[in-house]
Amino acid sequence: MAELSVQDLHLAYGDNPILKGVSMDLNRGEVVSLLGPSGSGKTTLLRAVAGLEAPNRGTISIGAKKVFDGAGAVDIPAEARNLGLVFQSYALWPHKTVSDNVAFGLKLRKVASGEIDSRVKKALSELSLGHLGARFPHQLSGGQQQRVAIARALVYNPPVILMDEPLSNLDAKLREEARAWLRTLILEMQLSALVVTHDQGEAMAMSDRILLLNNGVIEQQGTPQDMYNTPRTLFAADFMGSNNRLEGRIEEVRGGDAKLVGEGWTLWGRKAESARQGEKGTGMIRLERVRLAGGPGDNVLQPELATSMFLGDKWEHIFHLGNTTLRAHGPEALAKGRQWLEIPRADFWVF
Amino acid sequence: MAALAPSPDHAPQGALAGLFSWRSLTILLTAAAVLGPLSLIIYQSLLSAPFFEANKSVGVDAYRFIFADSDFWKAALNSVLIATGMVVIAVPLGGLLAFIMERTNLPFKRWLEPFILVPSFVSPMVLSFGYVVAAGPVGFYTVWAQDLFGVAPWGIYSILAMTIIAGLTHVPNVYIYASSALKNLGSDVEEAARSAGASPFRVAVSVSLPLIMPSLLFSAVLIFFLGFELFGLPLVLGDPEGILVLSTYLYKLTNKLGTPSYHLMAAVAICIVAITFPLVLIQRRLLVGARKYATIKGKAGRMRELPLGPWAWIAFALILGFVFVTVVVPLSGIALRAFVSSWGFGVKLSEVWTLDGFREVWNEPTHKRAILNTVLIGTVGGALTVACYTAIGFATHRRNDGWSRFIDYLVLVPRAVPGLLAGLAFLWVFLFFPPLTPLRTTIFSMWLAYSVVWLAYGMRLISSSLMQVSPELEEAGRSVGASRGLISRSITLPLIRSGLIGSWLLVFMIFEREYSTGVYLLAPGTEVIGAELVSLWQGGAIDIVAALALINIVLVGIGLAIALRFGVKLRD
Amino acid sequence: MKPLSIVAALLGSLSLAALAQVPAGYPSDYAQTVAAAKKEGKVVIYSALDTKAAQPLIRDFNAVYPDIKVEYNDMNSTELYNRFIAEVASGQGGADVMWSSAMDLQVKLVDEGKAMAYKSPEAAKLPSWANYKNEAYGTTFEPAVFIYNKRLVTGADIPTDHASFARIINANVEKFKGKVTTYDIEKSGVGFMFVVQDSKYFPGLKDLVHGFGKTGYRVYSSTGNMLEKVASGEHLLGYNVLGSYAAVRAKKDPGLGVVLPKDYTLVLSRVIFIGKDAKQPNAAKLWVDYVLSQRGQKMIGSDVELYAVRDDVEAPYTAGKLKKELGNNIKPIPVAGEITEMLDKTKRLAFLAKWKEMLAGK
Repeated sequence: MAELSVQDLHLAYGDNPILKGVSMDLNRGEVVSLLGPSGSGKTTLLRAVAGLEAPNRGTISIGAKKVFDGAGAVDIPAEARNLGLVFQSYALWPHKTVSDNVAFGLKLRKVASGEIDSRVKKALSELSLGHLGARFPHQLSGGQQQRVAIARALVYNPPVILMDEPLSNLDAKLREEARAWLRTLILEMQLSALVVTHDQGEAMAMSDRILLLNNGVIEQQGTPQDMYNTPRTLFAADFMGSNNRLEGRIEEVRGGDAKLVGEGWTLWGRKAESARQGEKGTGMIRLERVRLAGGPGDNVLQPELATSMFLGDKWEHIFHLGNTTLRAHGPEALAKGRQWLEIPRADFWVF
Repeated sequence: MAALAPSPDHAPQGALAGLFSWRSLTILLTAAAVLGPLSLIIYQSLLSAPFFEANKSVGVDAYRFIFADSDFWKAALNSVLIATGMVVIAVPLGGLLAFIMERTNLPFKRWLEPFILVPSFVSPMVLSFGYVVAAGPVGFYTVWAQDLFGVAPWGIYSILAMTIIAGLTHVPNVYIYASSALKNLGSDVEEAARSAGASPFRVAVSVSLPLIMPSLLFSAVLIFFLGFELFGLPLVLGDPEGILVLSTYLYKLTNKLGTPSYHLMAAVAICIVAITFPLVLIQRRLLVGARKYATIKGKAGRMRELPLGPWAWIAFALILGFVFVTVVVPLSGIALRAFVSSWGFGVKLSEVWTLDGFREVWNEPTHKRAILNTVLIGTVGGALTVACYTAIGFATHRRNDGWSRFIDYLVLVPRAVPGLLAGLAFLWVFLFFPPLTPLRTTIFSMWLAYSVVWLAYGMRLISSSLMQVSPELEEAGRSVGASRGLISRSITLPLIRSGLIGSWLLVFMIFEREYSTGVYLLAPGTEVIGAELVSLWQGGAIDIVAALALINIVLVGIGLAIALRFGVKLRD
Repeated sequence: MKPLSIVAALLGSLSLAALAQVPAGYPSDYAQTVAAAKKEGKVVIYSALDTKAAQPLIRDFNAVYPDIKVEYNDMNSTELYNRFIAEVASGQGGADVMWSSAMDLQVKLVDEGKAMAYKSPEAAKLPSWANYKNEAYGTTFEPAVFIYNKRLVTGADIPTDHASFARIINANVEKFKGKVTTYDIEKSGVGFMFVVQDSKYFPGLKDLVHGFGKTGYRVYSSTGNMLEKVASGEHLLGYNVLGSYAAVRAKKDPGLGVVLPKDYTLVLSRVIFIGKDAKQPNAAKLWVDYVLSQRGQKMIGSDVELYAVRDDVEAPYTAGKLKKELGNNIKPIPVAGEITEMLDKTKRLAFLAKWKEMLAGK
């Protein structure tokens, strides 16, 4: 049974619709990411679940309990929803010590003070913060602050924990470590978590399922692999990875494949639902799927090399093909001039 | 490089030298305006007679006298009690009101806010008088309550009542500081508390208010020493009962010995300063602490209002109750009294209706001049005052030298001196300092005293505007070669213009309401409503007191209305 | 313009014409004084009498001397004194004329040589006790009275003399709790002066003051406040209130009762003098002479509603009428050196201490 269920949620600020009918479920022990560009409504959705935004219609249920129902005028205030919420800014109370920050939710739940102590200690030690209980938030590093914020949200065992860009306030390097650590923690503690992020890498690494939001609606949802490997829309494909993009006309459709013709090139790829023969189309392929070929062949282009960049573990090459820029990875530097590039049929989507 | 720019530093150097003298002049004048009268008070307190009389001698007799006077100790105790009580009442209530108005979705709150601020802009003389005629033993409301319910279970002539009234009417002072602190507080910390399960009230008490603790402490100290300087309220409500506080004790000394006992008054004033000045210093420290605190507050994102749900009714009732008690009751009392010739038990208001009070004001050149002067000192005087404060502000802006620190402390000094005695000291200055004597019977004397007395208040307004100018903007100016003076004129000043206009409006309202500073400076030509009210009240010309008080309220109201207009514009 | 003021203006211009000559009985060189005063153009008066109350007098004076602007400043009597001595000390004589009800302070200033010697041509018409060294003059005859709230105090509760005042409040302490009012003698010089006189004339003062103490009496620094509070019913009885002001208020406020004490009635006289360093000495002389003249006194006894001190004046409020009503029981406080006795600090503090003891019944 879903721990959290959102049905047909609409929300507008005045005349400006933010959510236009979003539905989703979060199952027990599952991590779901809300992914999308800024303005897509992902944070608004999270805040609506938390009770911090007032939707116009739709329903939100936590467990069996309806916490919001636009039709039935149910709107349980945030403080009664019993959710754990981790803020992007962490929102640690600077006037309380780490322990007091974590203990606050337990105090509000009238837990006996002895038990509060032991639960706070346990929560802090689980997050490797055991020795920092007496400190104030401003005495902690960013990573430590983030963990306190999580401890504070977890300590009273909410059925669902909501995280708003939990990693975005960390340095790039720390962010990668924290991502791994957070994923492990969520799994170990069997949390049900809804995580907002704008970083597709983070979403894929951390979640069981991704909900891709675009402009107030869910564009696509699925496992990270689904989302990455079989995007259903151009937006999903574009958002989920680093891509090459080729604009042309769909000249022929054969079974599940389509032929895209541009200025001086022709490529076959997998036809997306939206693609129609005779219309304009966009071809897309992940950067890492482009192959440097030794010579001409099926689905092979011959663009001009513009420059190469050394990334450490590999090279990235930039090519020009007419007005189109193509990028590809390779193990070594390339010589100036025209190069052969293979665009594998199975990895090239035509939208 | 040198060849390319033959004398690039020539112009800046000249400007710098000019600025230097301009700056020293500003500092010098400020120091003279603050320390001159103060040293006169200290000197006077060490004499045995008015300093201008021949038969004086130096010594501590004045202190010996007041310390031996049981009334002094009673007054001091009452001052402590009242000041403490005021803190206990005003700080929590002011904080809570600020929370409600600043952080929640209470309906009509923009409409309610001006009413919360009204008590701070109405002269305490006016308010106290309003309470007498509205809620006194035979006040309008008391009589109505007795007619309706048979009882009116309140009294206004006791230490407790005075404390409550003083506490309530000082709520705006706390409110102002608390709400500006809350404005800067990110809403995420509150939302975090809500999702952790806290009700709006709990959010306020456990998160928002503790987070603005430095501001609350600051205003607590402010209220405490304002409690020591309380004058109008105990004069009207306490004096008839013989309940003295330090300032009314001081005032009483004017005549206790039959002839003026300036040395005793000065000694009392020094005792008050001895209490208030350390408090002012504490305040300053707290302010520095508050700035540190501000850097670690939650990230200020978009402000989101806390939905109150059913709490809205409680909040609404709280605010309406507050506004009713502190604004509606006294002001309606005055308004009524201004239009009747008599009042009290058994008087039918319909039979005593009159416009005589206003007619008398109108027929009396002194009162008309008082009204004109009051308007002038607020508008023209207020603008000049803000200009002076701005000059002082620039003299210390982004300079971390000894002079800046000196000015920082200097501007705090007048705050610690009770307005009553500051006014007296200025009278002496204008009487005995020859260059100023021709100006004594002009409104200039009043203006100078007002400007010095409110220096600390005004400098806070100015420096908060100056602080909002990001240093990079000024540094960018310097990097392209502008001198300090030029930067001040062409970058900083335009940037703080709206802040200055706001300060002007606040200074206008403060000057409209000021009363104690003018008591001794009142002379033909310097009449202002505030001081006239004290004098007329002492003289018992109650009809005129009521009419002038109402006119004063209207003036303040106009200022407030304009301020709100501007406020709205500034917010857009 | 009201017809009355047109008449007044006409009268004014008539008398102006008349004044081209010197008034009857005035020394012949008075014309020079008038001419010099005209040149001075104004007179600065410090007075303890409300501007509002003094207005008829100022208007009438201007009817006589239209070229002399009256700068009239009212303040309470202590402030008046303080300001005057400070201004004298600083060498900026602010006031030409000092006119105050604080008789003791006025006399003290004369004694200290801060008044100008000036024998008014009208001096001879004044009672002798109202002329001090030909420098300061008593100008009014204002009784100290009791007041009561007519709606709330009736019959036997209305005091008729000092003894009955004491008896009534002592017998009804509960009824009069917080309801009796008088001057704050620490704040008001006039109030202090009255009770010092009481201590001479009224042997039962101790009981009376004890009654004040027992009822928790309320004190103010001015008559106006007492009138307001008694008229409204906040207080019921007022003691040693200036009768002149009380009469004015009682006339328009039916709730206010006024009693002239039968056993003795103290009378205060506002003392006027010209400042020694007056900048407009001639105009000041004209004002003083005007106030003491029959015309000025008549105005004081009628429109100004103080009591005229001169016996030869016909007006609603005059010393003559009071004397007729009260006979020998009238006790004017003389404009004399003896009244400054209590300005001595030690004596004053001793009296205040004694007052406190009396309040406590000791």
